[in-house]
Order: sequence, then C-alpha cells, then structure tokens
Amino acid sequence: MKIEDAVVSARERLVARAKREGLATVGYDVLESPLGPLWVAITPKGVATIHYGAEPPESELRRLVRVYGPGVVPDHRRSSPLARELDQYFRGRRRRFDIPVDLSGLTPFQGRVLAQTAKIPFGDLLTYRTIATRIGNEKASRAVGGAVGANPIPIIVPCHRVVATDGSLGGYAGGLEAKRTLLAIERPGAVPLGGWPPAHRV
Amino acid sequence: MESPPLTFGQLLERHERELFAYALRLTGQRADAEDLFQDTFLAAFRAWPPPRRGSERAWLYRIATNRAIDRERRSRRIVASTDDLALAAPERDDAALVDLAGAIRTLPAGQRAAFVLRKVNGLSYAEVASILECSEVAARARVSEALKKVRSAVA
Repeated sequence: MKIEDAVVSARERLVARAKREGLATVGYDVLESPLGPLWVAITPKGVATIHYGAEPPESELRRLVRVYGPGVVPDHRRSSPLARELDQYFRGRRRRFDIPVDLSGLTPFQGRVLAQTAKIPFGDLLTYRTIATRIGNEKASRAVGGAVGANPIPIIVPCHRVVATDGSLGGYAGGLEAKRTLLAIERPGAVPLGGWPPAHRV
Repeated sequence: MESPPLTFGQLLERHERELFAYALRLTGQRADAEDLFQDTFLAAFRAWPPPRRGSERAWLYRIATNRAIDRERRSRRIVASTDDLALAAPERDDAALVDLAGAIRTLPAGQRAAFVLRKVNGLSYAEVASILECSEVAARARVSEALKKVRSAVA
C-alpha cells in the first residue's frame, strides 16, 4: 500500500466526521469533462460553482466562504449526482438539468440576469440585449454581458446560449471553443467560427 | 510565500500528506496515525483561522505533537508495526526499520517528536522549537538526547 492511498482514505474519514460535526458544509471536487477539468462546489442548497479548470479562482472561494464559512472540503460523494447529469448532457442524453443551483452571495443584479439566463431552453439563443429588456433595463446590455460573463455556474445556467446582437458568439469564461462545443451539442450542425451569418441572427 | 488558506480544503490539500506521514512516524501504527491525523485537522478546523500569516504548517505540527503526547500519556501503549513504518519511510529496508522502530518506540513522546521533526522531516531547529513550544536550545537538547538513545539502540 502506498502512503497516497492511506492519506486519501484518512482524508475521506476526516471529511465525513467534519460533515457530521457540522464543521464542513460545502463539498468540492474536480470532474473530468470533454471541455477539460471542472472544479465544482456543492452547497446545502445545490450546485454553487462550476469552474473551467482544476483550481478554483480565489474570488469564487471568497464567495463560498462569505456565504458558508471556511468549511469547504473535498468531497467526491457530494459531487456524483452533478457528475452524472453533466456526463449525460455531454453525451447528448440530457436537455435539462434537474440538480438545484445555488446563486447565493451574488449581487441582486447578477441574480436577476442569471435567473433569466437559466430560463433559456436547450438549443435556444438569446442576446445580451434581450436579457436586458427582460429584466426591465434594455440599455443595460453591457452590464448584462458582465453579469453573464461572471456566471459562477456555466453549463447548468446556460450562459453559452447568450450571444451578441450581431450574431457573433460574444465571450465565454471557458473560451470560445468551449462555447462552440456546447452549442454544437445543442444545435446539430457546426456552429460557424465567428457566430451566425446575418440571415440566422437571433 | 503562499497566501493563507481560505478554506479547510486548502489547508488539507497543502498539508495532509506531510501531517499524515508525521502522524505515522510518531505513532508507528496506521490506525493510530489516522486517529491522530483526524484529531489534528478537526482541532484546526474548530480553532479556525490559523494563528498568523504563513504559520499554518507549524500550527498543525504543534497540534499534532501535543495531541500525540496527550494520547500517549493516556494510553502508554505504543507498538510500532514495521509495515506501517515502511509506509512512512518506503526507501528503507525492513531490517533497519525493525531496529529503528524499536529504537523510536523507546523514546519519550517529547523526544520522539523532536527526533522525527528534525531527523526524519528535516525541519530547522527554529521550526522544531516553535512546534514543541520550547527554546531552540531545548529543542537541540531533545534531539541530541534522542539521537544518542536511537544510536545506542540500533548499534
């Protein structure tokens, strides 16, 4: 037996005990995906973070700590329902996520924008401007772009379905290639490199 | 210097391997090492945040050492298993380990902690002193006393 295995099993028992004693409230894990590793965090309310990369950004940890305290621990067991749903989605076998999301600790504006974003159905597209209109502030496209760009739960809160008014893809936290891949899963047929030509504008 | 840990998970990921190996060397047994490892981190979580910027490693060692000494005072039962020691020091051969395990086993807890911290984990005397909450001179004395005993036991 290697010491690494002994450490992993000791850690699992430690985390289980910390959870039982109420010391640990948020579980995190790194999931493999076709878009690379995803750092995910699950709170008592639901999925709070999906981050493109194996290490969380400090701003995201700070948000979790602000809302839930420092009890953020590695926890495979907690992440498995999310892992299953993501896997089904990437295989084209799931169009809607059932797992609850947790948008605590965001600004009210960002919460409103992401609540609208969450309503965009599988395969559909909306523009930043449409979302601005829907939250009652049609001039706020740019601020909406900022709020969508800072979405802490991409894929599940489908910010990849938000594009620029001119049909170009806009930006994406996971990179434009990731956005294109997600749109290709949902919209059969290749997604044009820069977005859609004028005739297909949304 | 790394920024201080924001979460229990960060503290764990940074120090769990080192602390587990230390617990294994102090207790000589995997089951006891696991208990000590759990007690150490749970105590750290309860006492959160770590005391000073950048000092969380010494803090964890201090908690582990104090807990190990307390446990030993309570139980007085230390039977080092060579399998578990091999886990802690895979590069050594079994015969040497049997001797070393026996020698370390005979040390009083404070000397054993000093010996392991300095001679096995390679910490500086300043660090050993901070962990054992004694002066550097006292830390040196403990290590040298332990070394003498271990040497005569394995000679």
